[in-house]
Amino acid sequence: MLNYFGQKFKDNGYQLMNDRDSPIWQNNGYWPVTMRITPSWHRESTNKVAVDQTGLNQQITAHGFDVGGLDILAGGTLEKNVSFLLVPSSDETGAFHFESVNARLDNLFGSSWLNLKMGKFELDNIVSEKRGLTLTANGGGFQLYHFIPVGDSNFLGQIGDNQLGLEWLGHSANDRTRISAAIFSSTDGNPDLPGSNAYTGFFAASQAFDAGKLGTQRLGFYAMVGQAPTDTLTSGGEPIAGGGIGNKGFSREGFVGLFYLGKLDFQVVTQHGSDNAYFANALPAGSTLPTGARDAVWNGAFVETHYVYNPQLIFIQRSEWIRMSQQGNPANASNAGDLDNYVVGFRYMPFMNARAGFAWHNEYSWIRQRGGAPDGSDLTSNSFMSGFDFDF
Amino acid sequence: MRGKQAVLLVVTLLLLLGTAILYSGDRVSAAAAGQISGTIKLDGAAPHQKPIDMSKEPSCAAIHKDKPVSTEIVVAGPNGGLEWVVVYISEGLNAAEASAVPSETPSFDQKGCQYIPHVLALDVGQHFKVVNSDQTSHNIHPLPRPGGPNHEWNKSQPQGSPPFDVAWTGEEMIPVKCNIHPWMHGYMAVVKGPYAVSDGNGSYTISGVPPGSYTVTAWQEQYGAQTQKVTVASGKATADFTFKAK
Amino acid sequence: MRTNACKWSLLLAAVAVAALCSRSSAQMTKYDEDQRLGMESHIGKLTGRAAAAKENYRRFCTGCHGDEGDGEGENAQWIDPKPRNFTLATFKCRSTPTGTLPTDEDLFNTIGRGIMNSNMPPWNPLSQQARADLVAYVKHFSPRWQTEKAGAPIQIPPAPEVTADRIKAGQAMFQKLECWKCHGVEGRSNGPSADTLTDDQNRAIKPFNFHDENRFKCGVSDEDLYKIFMTGLDGTPMPSFADNVKPEEAWELVYYLRTLQPMPSKEKDIAKQLGLKPINPNATAAPTAAQ
Repeated sequence: MLNYFGQKFKDNGYQLMNDRDSPIWQNNGYWPVTMRITPSWHRESTNKVAVDQTGLNQQITAHGFDVGGLDILAGGTLEKNVSFLLVPSSDETGAFHFESVNARLDNLFGSSWLNLKMGKFELDNIVSEKRGLTLTANGGGFQLYHFIPVGDSNFLGQIGDNQLGLEWLGHSANDRTRISAAIFSSTDGNPDLPGSNAYTGFFAASQAFDAGKLGTQRLGFYAMVGQAPTDTLTSGGEPIAGGGIGNKGFSREGFVGLFYLGKLDFQVVTQHGSDNAYFANALPAGSTLPTGARDAVWNGAFVETHYVYNPQLIFIQRSEWIRMSQQGNPANASNAGDLDNYVVGFRYMPFMNARAGFAWHNEYSWIRQRGGAPDGSDLTSNSFMSGFDFDF
Repeated sequence: MRGKQAVLLVVTLLLLLGTAILYSGDRVSAAAAGQISGTIKLDGAAPHQKPIDMSKEPSCAAIHKDKPVSTEIVVAGPNGGLEWVVVYISEGLNAAEASAVPSETPSFDQKGCQYIPHVLALDVGQHFKVVNSDQTSHNIHPLPRPGGPNHEWNKSQPQGSPPFDVAWTGEEMIPVKCNIHPWMHGYMAVVKGPYAVSDGNGSYTISGVPPGSYTVTAWQEQYGAQTQKVTVASGKATADFTFKAK
Repeated sequence: MRTNACKWSLLLAAVAVAALCSRSSAQMTKYDEDQRLGMESHIGKLTGRAAAAKENYRRFCTGCHGDEGDGEGENAQWIDPKPRNFTLATFKCRSTPTGTLPTDEDLFNTIGRGIMNSNMPPWNPLSQQARADLVAYVKHFSPRWQTEKAGAPIQIPPAPEVTADRIKAGQAMFQKLECWKCHGVEGRSNGPSADTLTDDQNRAIKPFNFHDENRFKCGVSDEDLYKIFMTGLDGTPMPSFADNVKPEEAWELVYYLRTLQPMPSKEKDIAKQLGLKPINPNATAAPTAAQ
C-alpha cells in the first residue's frame, strides 16, 4: 500500500512538484524501470478434488519451490506534467501481457483537479490490490475485487482487474481530497475489443483528515456501474469483435477506510454487488429465465491489519467475508458461493536501500467456499509460502 | 595613645598590603608587566603569490592600477621576515588574565577590495568594527568551524553604509571572505590574553605580559602553529620563530 | 523541572563540547544520542518529540540526509544541491537574523513546503504531528540547540500598496545594493560575480534566476521574498541586508523584484506602464526615485 507521501507523488503524475523531478533532472538517458520477482517455497492444499483414478473427491497437497512471474514496471515523467506507466507482466510460464499501459496528462491548466489518464490502468481503488502486502495463491488478492457468484457468467465486474479506458482524477494540493471518474470498455482489460461495445463507469472519492496524534485517516467510497453483453454474435463460430449483444447491467459499490493508530493500521473495504439475473444464470438476454430467477446480490467486507513494528518488519492479517444475500439461480442453496478468507503473515526487509526493495515474505492463508466442492459440500483450501519478494 | 596608634597604623597597612596581594592573585601589579618580542622568519623562498585580477570590479581595479596586488597567504619581507603571523600566549595565564578584554575596538576595513588588515587579531569578546571604505558593496562572510563556539553569518555592506560592530565568542582562527569579490581573503584570529601580529619585517611585540612562565604560540595561515616556552621576568623576553617554507 | 532542565542542559553542553573535541561533529555517542532524543519542538499548539520521529526519519529522510543527519545519505552523491547537513545547524530558510538558529516554525514550514529546484520534496502529506516530531529530530543532530535559543524572528510590517513610486524606489535599491552583481540586471543569474560563487562548503552555487523562476527556494509569497533578503540564506553567498535596508525600503525592493519574474502580476503591469528599463550597472550614482 502507498503511504500518503507515495500516493501524492503518484497523483501528481510521479512528480515531486518542485521542478526537480526525475527523470528529467537526473540524466536525459535515465529511464525509470524496476523488475519484480518472487521466488519462493510454497505449499497448497485443497480438501476435495475430483480425482479420475479413484473416482473420489480427495484432498490434494502440493509443495515445492516456485516462481511467481515477472513484473517490469516502468513509470515516470516524459516531460513536466506528462507521465506514463508501462507494466509488461509475465506469468510464471513467461507468457507476457500488459498489466498497465497508460499515458497521463497531469495538472492541466495548472490545476491539481484536472488529470487525465488513458490506456490500460488499475481502477482508482483507494485500497489498491496491486500494492497489497499478500502474495499467496489463496490470499494474495482481495476476494471482493474478483468475486463472481456461483454460475454467474459476468466476469467483467472485477474491480481488481486493470481496465482499458479513460480516467479523470482530481485532488487537492496536499492530496487530502481525491475524486476520480473513469469510463472503460466492458472487456475486463482485454484488448482488441472482444465482443463488446458496452461501457462501464467507475467512480471513487475519499477525504483524508488529520486526527492529531493518531495520524492521518482516510474515508471514501467507490462505485462501479456498467453494462456488458450476455451473448455474442459469431462468424464461422468465432466471436465477432464488437458483436456483443443483450447488454445487461451490473454494479459494485462500497465504503473504504484507512485508519492509522500508531504502529497499527487498518484497511477496511466493503462491497455490495449486484449482477443482472441473466448474468447470474449465465443466459443470453431475451431467453427464458428459470422461474424464480433473480439478480445475484451479495455483500462483503474485508479488514486488513498491519502492525509496523519498524519500517523493516511488518505483520499482516486480513479477514474477508462475502455473503450472498440473494442467489440468482433459484436452484442454488442460499449460501452457495459464500466465501471466508483468512490470511496471516509478515514481511522482513533486512536492509533499506534506495535502489532495491527486498523482503523475506512469509504467509499463510485459508479460504472456504460454501458448496464449492465437486460434491456440493464446502471447498476449503490453504496456502503457505516463504520466499523473497524482490524488486530492483 | 601614640604607641597604640602606631600599632593600629601598622596593622592597617599590613591588612591593606595583604588585601592587595590577595586580590592581585599571585602576580605583582600591572605596572611591572613585561613584554615578549621577537622576529618571525621564513626559512626558504616564499611560495609565489598570485597576482589578483580585479577587472570584474572596475572601481577597485582603478585603485590598484599602478601597483597591482597579490594574494597574501605567505608574505615575506626582503630579509625573510614573515608578516601576518599571530603571536599569543596559549598557556600560563590565569583565568582573569585570559578573559581580560581590551577596550580598543580595531577596524577590519574593506579597502581596494582587500581586507585591511589581512589578519586581525582579537580577544574573545573584544568588539571590533567592520568598515567598507570602497565604492562598491561587499558582503562579509566569516566562516568559523561548524559546531564550534563561533557561528557563521553573512551580511551585506553597501558603499557608504555605517560600520558593523562584531564580537566573537570563542577562540578560533576564522577565515573571512566576500562572495561578490572571490579574491578577498582574510582572517580574524580570536585568542585569549595579550597578542600581537608580526609586521613587514617579521617583528612583533606583545605588551602587558605579567611576569611568569608561558607557552607562546605563533600561527601563520599556511604553515600552522609553533610553540615556544618563555619566561618573563619584569622586563622583556624574546621568542623568535622560524617557519620552513614548503 | 526548570532547574533539572538547567542541569541537564549544562551537562549536555559539557558532554557536547567534550564530544566535539574528541570526534568529528558528525558523530554522536550513544549517550549523546539518547540524551538528545529528548529534544522537543513547539509549533503553534503542536509539541513534537524527537524520539517519536525516529522511524519516519529512517523511512523518509535517511536516504539523503544520512543516519547521522550529516547530509551523507546514500543518495547524496547523485544530487545537487547537496542535502542539508543538520549537524552544522546552518539553515537557509529562516525568519531569524543571519547567524542565529531558525524557529521551530521555520523548520516545520521547510519540511512541509519542500525546497524548490532541489531534491527536497514537500512533505505535507505527512500529518502535522509527524512533521512536528521531525522538526525535533532535525534539531537533535546538532549540539547548538542544546545551548542556544532560536533567534528572534524579524518584524515584517504589513505590505503597503503596490504603486509606481514604490517600484521605482525598489529599482533604485536594486542598483544601490548591487544585487545585480550576482543576480544580473534582468535577474537572469548572470551578474559579473555569478560564476565564481561558492557556498560555505566551497561547492559552486548559482544565484536565483528571477527571470525564469516563479518560486523561491524558501517560499512563493511576497513575505517569503522579504524574509529571504532580510535574513540572508545562511550557508550560501546570499547575505542579509537587514542592517542597511529599512522595512519600507524592503517592501519597495520586493515589488521591484516581482517585475523581473515571469508570472503576471500587478507589479509587472505597472512596470510595463512605466516603461521600466533594466538598471544601468555603469551608472555612477543610483537613480533617484524621482527619475
